[in-house]
Amino acid sequence: MSTTHAPAPSPGEAVEGPHHRGARERLGDRYGLSGFLWLCRRECLRVFKLWTQTVLAPIVSSILFILVFGLSLGSRIRNFGGIEYEVFIVPGLITMAMVQAAYNNTSSSVFQGRQDRYINDILSAPMHPWQMNLGYAIGGIVRSLAIGAGLVALAIPLTGVGVQHPLVLVAGILLGLVGFSALGTIVGIFAETFDNHTFVSNIVILPLVFLGGVFYSITTLASPWQELSHVNPLFFLVNAVRYGFIGHSDVSPVLSLAVVAAIALPMYGWAQWLFSTGRRLKA
Amino acid sequence: MDHSPPALELRGLTKRYDDGTLALEGFDLAVPAGRFFGLLGPNGAGKTTLISVVSNLIRITAGEALVFGEPAHRLRARRWVGLAEQDVNLDRFLTVEEVLVYHGGYFGMTGADARRRATEMIDVFDLRAKTDVRTPKLSGGMRRRLLLARALMHRPRLVILDEPTAGVDVELRYELSCYIRKLHAEGTTILLTTHYLEEAEELCEEIALIGAGQLIARDTAAGLRERYDAASLTEVYMKTVGGGRAASGAASENGGDPEAGVGGHDHESSRAGIAS
Repeated sequence: MSTTHAPAPSPGEAVEGPHHRGARERLGDRYGLSGFLWLCRRECLRVFKLWTQTVLAPIVSSILFILVFGLSLGSRIRNFGGIEYEVFIVPGLITMAMVQAAYNNTSSSVFQGRQDRYINDILSAPMHPWQMNLGYAIGGIVRSLAIGAGLVALAIPLTGVGVQHPLVLVAGILLGLVGFSALGTIVGIFAETFDNHTFVSNIVILPLVFLGGVFYSITTLASPWQELSHVNPLFFLVNAVRYGFIGHSDVSPVLSLAVVAAIALPMYGWAQWLFSTGRRLKA
Repeated sequence: MDHSPPALELRGLTKRYDDGTLALEGFDLAVPAGRFFGLLGPNGAGKTTLISVVSNLIRITAGEALVFGEPAHRLRARRWVGLAEQDVNLDRFLTVEEVLVYHGGYFGMTGADARRRATEMIDVFDLRAKTDVRTPKLSGGMRRRLLLARALMHRPRLVILDEPTAGVDVELRYELSCYIRKLHAEGTTILLTTHYLEEAEELCEEIALIGAGQLIARDTAAGLRERYDAASLTEVYMKTVGGGRAASGAASENGGDPEAGVGGHDHESSRAGIAS
């Protein structure tokens, strides 16, 4: 270690607006903006450093679903509302891949940060709690959007699926991603082991998505399964996204968006409360 | 007369953990700006709890902590504190350079400034050969160097070193001591916890002995030796906080009330203290 040209952290240097720093940094300093942007960048870097695992793998598995269930078996399954089966399943599969990615990203990132305690670098930094919460959420959202974009780019030439109602599609996807990235943050904060994280993913989210009408319309279900499907919040998300893509939905898109918002916003609020109070994050 | 606020001021600081353990109770301490201050005490004395309070890593039960006159939880105060924790806690997804640059960014540095400063720190801490290596692949000594470099990255005014030389070889310990001494000579306030008493005696201008969440004694090393009629700091330590005598020491600082002592602990240590 060299002790001859050590950087000089002179006492006055960090007091208030050192002369050599620009206005941009002082502004970022004062409002924690710099830390927030670097946290967002770190979360995105983590996603793209592990892109084969975080982005490529979900795209490949969803495309396999489209190829096997849609293109291979689709001709043997009746159309729903005059829509080809391979087109019908695309919005649900995209939704499934995106919400799982949003959840997995924040959950694993927060949990690993807690487990190895490098989250302390974030918690001790001059950042507001809302910036920490949003920074983690953005990592999940960016990963999901990368997967969604990849899937759409492949699904269009494969199935001919289009976008009928872009506003509903954007609103549905954004609300879904906010909700599931927040759920991931909450689980990441509460998880004691990595099993807790995978339990929610495999035993809660995956079955709810499958039973939410990814592969079928609930009009084909007998009572009481049709009614019970309305208890599943993922049913509303899948249908909002499906309406956005192909203009078909088992339920009113307004109701779908309202239900998704009613779940996503409190979920985000809960994650925010955990960061604001430090519960489970700080001893 | 110097009217500048202390680098660190704790007023009536109390921390009770969720399991009921009382780690600090009514703790008062002021560390003047520019001082090299040592914090000594056995495991579970409350040292890491105290440090975590200053670094915004635990929730305070009562009292307040001020950093250069600003409440420790405020963004401005956090910008002034640099912490090298006892346990190595480096981001496993980042390389050596990224750890430093991202830390600088979290603490308000621009990208260009952070990269420039990271280059400096990499040279100072002899990490050049490992710049692009991810942290899990570093040796123990390299991780310790990086931990210290990260703490100093944003040019903090108050540097907190929680047992920085624990488990490092003699050579690295010597180098770290030299660098920390240089940092202090340049005006940085240093708060050091260590179990190496000779290290504290050699480096620190002032030493506080804490035990069971209470301040037992505070003075220069020479002053402590004289006060406790001891030949060495080790002897002072054993007479005050060592050898299970913390309670009696604490009692002496609390008007002789032996019940005033509490079962403190470092928050990652055993929760064997007195529960409510």
